[in-house]
Amino acid sequence: MKTQWRDHDWQLIHGQARSPALHMALDEVITDEVAAGRRAPTLRVWEWASSAVVIGRFQSLRNEVDPDGATRHGIEVVRRITGGGAMFIEPGNTITYSLSAPASLVDGLSFEQSYAFMDAWVLDALRTLGIEAWYQPLNDIASRSGKIAGAAQMRRGNAVLHHVTMAYDIDANKMLEVLRIGREKLSDKATQSAVKRVDPLRSQTGLAREAVIERMIDTFRSHHGLQADSLREGELERAQALMRQKFATPAWTALVP
Amino acid sequence: MRRHGEYKMPGGKLTVVDLAVEHGRLVGVVVSGDFFLEPDEALAAISAALEGQAADLDELQLTHLVERATPAHTRMFGVDAQAIARAVRRAIENGPSA
Repeated sequence: MKTQWRDHDWQLIHGQARSPALHMALDEVITDEVAAGRRAPTLRVWEWASSAVVIGRFQSLRNEVDPDGATRHGIEVVRRITGGGAMFIEPGNTITYSLSAPASLVDGLSFEQSYAFMDAWVLDALRTLGIEAWYQPLNDIASRSGKIAGAAQMRRGNAVLHHVTMAYDIDANKMLEVLRIGREKLSDKATQSAVKRVDPLRSQTGLAREAVIERMIDTFRSHHGLQADSLREGELERAQALMRQKFATPAWTALVP
Repeated sequence: MRRHGEYKMPGGKLTVVDLAVEHGRLVGVVVSGDFFLEPDEALAAISAALEGQAADLDELQLTHLVERATPAHTRMFGVDAQAIARAVRRAIENGPSA
C-alpha cells in the first residue's frame, strides 16, 4: 500500500565533502540500509570534494566522455547505478541530493508520476526563490529559460533511490571539452547552445549556493518533517569498501564501453 | 570498422548502438543510452543476444529478437525493443565510421 511523506521519519545527512566515487557508493549503501529497515528514510545533500563527470548506468563511456579533456581538467569519471544522462560536476557549481525511501512511497505511481512526486518539494522551494519550474518528462526539472536539473530513480529491493543534480552555475566551455554529447548537441542547429540548454540557478536567484541549499532543506522540513542525522561509521566503512571494489574500478566505469 | 547508430524514441530517451559488421554478422555490439532499465542486467542480455546476428535482419525481426532477449519483468523507460532495433538498423546502414 502506498505510504505518504509524513508516514516516514525523514533524516537529513548533509556532511563533509566526499569524492565522486564515494558518493556513488554512499547512494547504494544508504538505500540498501533503508531497504533493510536499518535506516529511516533519508535525504542526503551532497558536497563534492572534486570535479567529476557522472555517467548514467547504461551510457557508453567512449561516447560520452572525452578522456583527454577529462585528464586535462583533472576530472574524475564515475558511473552511477541509475540510468539517465551524463552530468558535469564542479563542487561549487552543483547542488546534488539523494532520497532513499521505502518503495511504498511511490507504490502504484507510473514512472513519470514517481519522479514528479519525489521532487514536488523542490519545485515549491524554487517557487519561494522566484523560479517557476516544472517537471519535464521524463526526468528533467525545467524553467522557461532552460533545464535546471536532471533526476534519476531506481528500485533496490524494498527501497527507492531518487537522486537529482541541479546546475547552480556552469562553466559551459569546460563542460564541452569533457562531454562529447554536449558537442554533438551543439552542432545541432535546433539546439541554441549548451549555455542556454542548462540554466544555472545562480543567475536566476542571485543567491549563494549555500542559501539555495538551505532554502531547499527548510522547504523539505516544513513539507515532510526532517531530523538532523549523520552517516554512521559502519555505513561509511561499507561505502569505502564498495568504492574500492566497484565504483573506483576501471571495470565498472567502462562497464558499457 | 565500427559503426554507430542513434535513435530517440518520441517522448523517450536516446538509444545508441555501436557495432561492427564482419562477414555479414554483427560483432562487438554495444547498446547504450540515457534510458532507464530495471533490472540493469537486462542491457547486457540484450547486447549479447544481438551479437553474431545476421546484418540483414530487418527492424521487425530485430525488435522480436530484443523482446525475446529481455528478461521477464524488465521495466523499460524511455526505450523499448523497437527503439533498440531502429538504432541497430541505423548503425548497420550508417556504414563504417572513424
